[in-house]
Amino acid sequence: MKEDKKNSFNTPEGYFESFNDRLMDRIQKEKAQEGGSIIPKTDGFAVPVGYFNEVTPTVLSKINTKKTKVIPLKTNRRFYYGVAAVAAIFILMFSLIWESNPEPISFDDLANAEIEAYFENTDLEMTSYEIAEVVSLEEIELNDILDNDLEDDIIMEYLDENVDDIEELNLEDIDYE
Amino acid sequence: MIAEETLVQELQQEESRAKAFEVLVNTYKERLYWHIRRIVLDHDDTDDVLQNTFIKVYRNIEKFKGDSKLYSWMYRIATNESLTFLKQKSRKMGISDQELKDRMVENLQADVYFEGDEIQLKLQKALATLPDKQKLVFTMKYFQEMKYTDISEALDTSVGALKASYHLAVKKIETYLKEN
Repeated sequence: MKEDKKNSFNTPEGYFESFNDRLMDRIQKEKAQEGGSIIPKTDGFAVPVGYFNEVTPTVLSKINTKKTKVIPLKTNRRFYYGVAAVAAIFILMFSLIWESNPEPISFDDLANAEIEAYFENTDLEMTSYEIAEVVSLEEIELNDILDNDLEDDIIMEYLDENVDDIEELNLEDIDYE
Repeated sequence: MIAEETLVQELQQEESRAKAFEVLVNTYKERLYWHIRRIVLDHDDTDDVLQNTFIKVYRNIEKFKGDSKLYSWMYRIATNESLTFLKQKSRKMGISDQELKDRMVENLQADVYFEGDEIQLKLQKALATLPDKQKLVFTMKYFQEMKYTDISEALDTSVGALKASYHLAVKKIETYLKEN
């Protein structure tokens, strides 16, 4: 214990050495309580100077150039993709069923890995939602194309491990109607 | 500022569409930019998605029936465009959605248009751990200061569910910031 010669009051040892740290801690805590949270109020993102002035003419120029090209196909585009996808699936299935195909190179000559790589690397311009919209599971059962039956508990286990939010599974209509 | 109903009417008429669309872009570009930026994080990606959003708005404006507010409808398009963009990006890179989110946050450290300090970087790391919907609700409420009713229209989710999501997101972020 230290003694103050003039006042004869004592302070605990190390009191003044640790005073600054304790004070700063207290200020930090009070700050956090005032704001109600330790989450920062801003997130630190910035934009290039003049960006918001440039973006309007850029968007308007794209509208003018894209208008004539895109509008005629607009309403039917998805339908065409859908038809193409269904046709491709049927062709694929028929070529599997009729192995007596006289073509020199048959579907069987392709390794599964090559087919998977094709679907993986080719941009089909269709999301899985769009494919799901045109090919319903009633027409093609999953078990038709799998070696082993897909049991319910396997599906549940998969969903449990891989899906964060069950609401994400709901198909959303993004037709903006 | 022009009334929303008048703007919608002008947008849906061929002769006034071009001029009204310019007004629309000028009115909403900043708000939509910040909404998209907080999802895709990178400025250049945000610019792409913002332009696509406005192009989609232009092409679909005739279908807009006024059941919701125009700007909620545009937020919905912007959200869908942003999430689709990220899904396509992760598919092209051959990585999972979560891996992409982690990389996006890592890239912020070298991003010249990110001026955040350590705590703001930690905040982005915390946000990357949240499910998409919780993250959206949090940024729309906390940073964009939107009303629950407007977020409800934009995300097509009940106000009650949004409040629960927001509360949960705040708790998770606070816990992350305290533990890391």
